[in-house]
Amino acid sequence: MAAPVSAEVLESDLSSAMALLKNLQEQVMAVTAHIQALTKKVQARAYPTEKGLSLLEVKDQLLLMYLMDLSHLILNKASGGSLQRHAAVLRLVEMRTVLEKLRPLDQKLKYQIDKLIKTAVTGSLSENDPLRFKPHPSSMMSKLSSEDEEDEAEKGQSGASGKKSANGAVKKYVPPRLVPVHYDETEAEREKKRLERAKKRALSSSVIRELKEQYSDAPEEIRDARHPHVTRQSQEDQHRINYEESMMVRLSVSKREKGRRKRASVMSSQLHSLTHFSDISALTGGTPHLDEDQNPVKKRKKVPKKGRKKKGFRRRR
Amino acid sequence: MNNTMTIWTRKFMTNRLLQWKQMATDVLHPGKATVPKTEVPGKLVKMYKTTPHVTFVFGFRTHFGGGKTTGFGVIYDSLDYAKKNEPKHRLSRYGLYQKKNTSRK
Repeated sequence: MAAPVSAEVLESDLSSAMALLKNLQEQVMAVTAHIQALTKKVQARAYPTEKGLSLLEVKDQLLLMYLMDLSHLILNKASGGSLQRHAAVLRLVEMRTVLEKLRPLDQKLKYQIDKLIKTAVTGSLSENDPLRFKPHPSSMMSKLSSEDEEDEAEKGQSGASGKKSANGAVKKYVPPRLVPVHYDETEAEREKKRLERAKKRALSSSVIRELKEQYSDAPEEIRDARHPHVTRQSQEDQHRINYEESMMVRLSVSKREKGRRKRASVMSSQLHSLTHFSDISALTGGTPHLDEDQNPVKKRKKVPKKGRKKKGFRRRR
Repeated sequence: MNNTMTIWTRKFMTNRLLQWKQMATDVLHPGKATVPKTEVPGKLVKMYKTTPHVTFVFGFRTHFGGGKTTGFGVIYDSLDYAKKNEPKHRLSRYGLYQKKNTSRK
């Protein structure tokens, strides 16, 4: 028992205890009356749950069982027993875990349950109710599908299936109406654009990139990246590959094309990039210098017609 | 010998006009020489569950450095369509056509 306490403490405690106990008694009576009313209603089958959501029914039953066990334990404790290793405690723990696992499911169903309740309460939903919108996959299927659709079910890899032959009525081709824009780009504007492009190219050159890496705090990344400047040759190669694979043919490579390819590949595989730096004069404001590999602006010399007509004279670049 | 040949097919398309299924085939053969054309249809037959006499492959080019070869593959709906639509030189590779060696004069 507790140590001997003074009488004043006991007296104050006693009055608050009496008040609390009286409160408790009142509440217990109210709750009992409420529960008795509910039980009568349930026994009179006022709440049929056969056609309802099974999740909610499970929750109902679990909560009821929880209450029963809890009240049993309270009774036990009130009459002085201990809760140690009571079977009801384990059951309570189990039910609590299940209820907590059901909570995310509940969240997922929240939308549907709200919609159902709203329909039940108000009768029907209005036309513009956002709860009425749901996806209609049947309206996404093309109504022009012919018998070809059924026997095109391929096993294995399925890429783009062939175009449907029955594509509806053939419509007359109407060219798109493009609005013509006045062209009045002056020489100065052209110069400015050229300068901007040169600046952009210079910013992504190796010199500037290394400077950036030197002064930035970010960790050094070693990446196997593709060349940032897509050369014309690589673009042409890509175009050729795309054409070959879509047309299922192999194109022959002319001598000139072979030479161009060889030059482009040789240029990139040498140690050229170690000693030759790209032009950053656009940023520094100096005079632009062209490297040997870049094609200079071609000056077309006037080829004398006489020379052209000469037989056997063939100039291969 | 480890059989490390892998086949991927890309750009698969069913062509109803020529009654075939066409695709671009990538053959991966790291460390080995280029796979001959006669072995590739066998693998395609297994992948697409067809018969070997309607699968044709052609146009194999090996990429620089070896290890990967790209070509084209074609699977017909039936042998009749194959005989009708396939060029004669490809049919003769599979023994379905013999070129007549008539004398020129």
